[in-house]
Amino acid sequence: MNTFLSRLNSLFAMTMTVLAGLTFCCFLSTVHHTHHSIAKLDTPSVLVRQAPDYMIGHEINDLGHMTLNIDADLNHLFNWNVKQLFVYITAHYKTEKNAFNQVVLWDKIIRRGESARLQYSRVNPKYYFWDDGFGLRGNPNVTLALQYNVIPNSGRLLNIYAEGRHVVSMPENYIKGRA
Amino acid sequence: MDSLINALKSRLPPSHMDFEGQRRAETAFQWVLGIFATIGFACGYAYQQFSLTVYILGIGFAIAALLTLPPWPMYRRNPLKWQPVRVNNTAGENDVSVGAKSSRKDK
Repeated sequence: MNTFLSRLNSLFAMTMTVLAGLTFCCFLSTVHHTHHSIAKLDTPSVLVRQAPDYMIGHEINDLGHMTLNIDADLNHLFNWNVKQLFVYITAHYKTEKNAFNQVVLWDKIIRRGESARLQYSRVNPKYYFWDDGFGLRGNPNVTLALQYNVIPNSGRLLNIYAEGRHVVSMPENYIKGRA
Repeated sequence: MDSLINALKSRLPPSHMDFEGQRRAETAFQWVLGIFATIGFACGYAYQQFSLTVYILGIGFAIAALLTLPPWPMYRRNPLKWQPVRVNNTAGENDVSVGAKSSRKDK
């Protein structure tokens, strides 16, 4: 502590340690939150067709297409320890070929400060709904679920399902050409 | 290289403090940072903005730096009392003993 630089070193080291402690206290102040929310999902139109899957060597697979209605309010999930929410909708189903399939249809990043009120009507999905094989036609139970990653400033990275799933029964017939 | 650094250092103003001053400076900046950390945490929690906590801690760092980094006169009020230089006059002995206390930091 005899020279300017050694005092600066001590002061800076203590500041960084205190900052680390404050960040940990920020985590502790939000560790008990449950991140529960309710979502209403709907699919106004559901279609299935067969198409060559360009991503895997043009083999023919089932391609689903469902427009989405999304209604959820996630504003209460934000607090001083949440940096952003990564929200996404997945379709879960079972086929003869694969016991468990999960496909992401739509996602959105909501940063702190942006509105987290999701109100979408008849939106197209963001990503293609390819199946591995022909398991979509006539599949009676394709479940849509809204999930979100709560990305904190400090703490665990959580993946939470919103309450409220929507079950879709896929049509029996393929669509040919443009729907 | 050493002589270059020493030449540069000798051009800067001295920044030493005596031991009592160093102790008081360290206590001072620890208190300042602690107080601003507490204020920062409380304000950040109240307004639910962690950036507020970091900024308030930054202000605390600036105040502590201003208070303790420059060698203010208040940190030089207890200089070490060195013994006067004794030169031995007896023949053969060339022992200039500067019988000072060795530099032990007393806390």
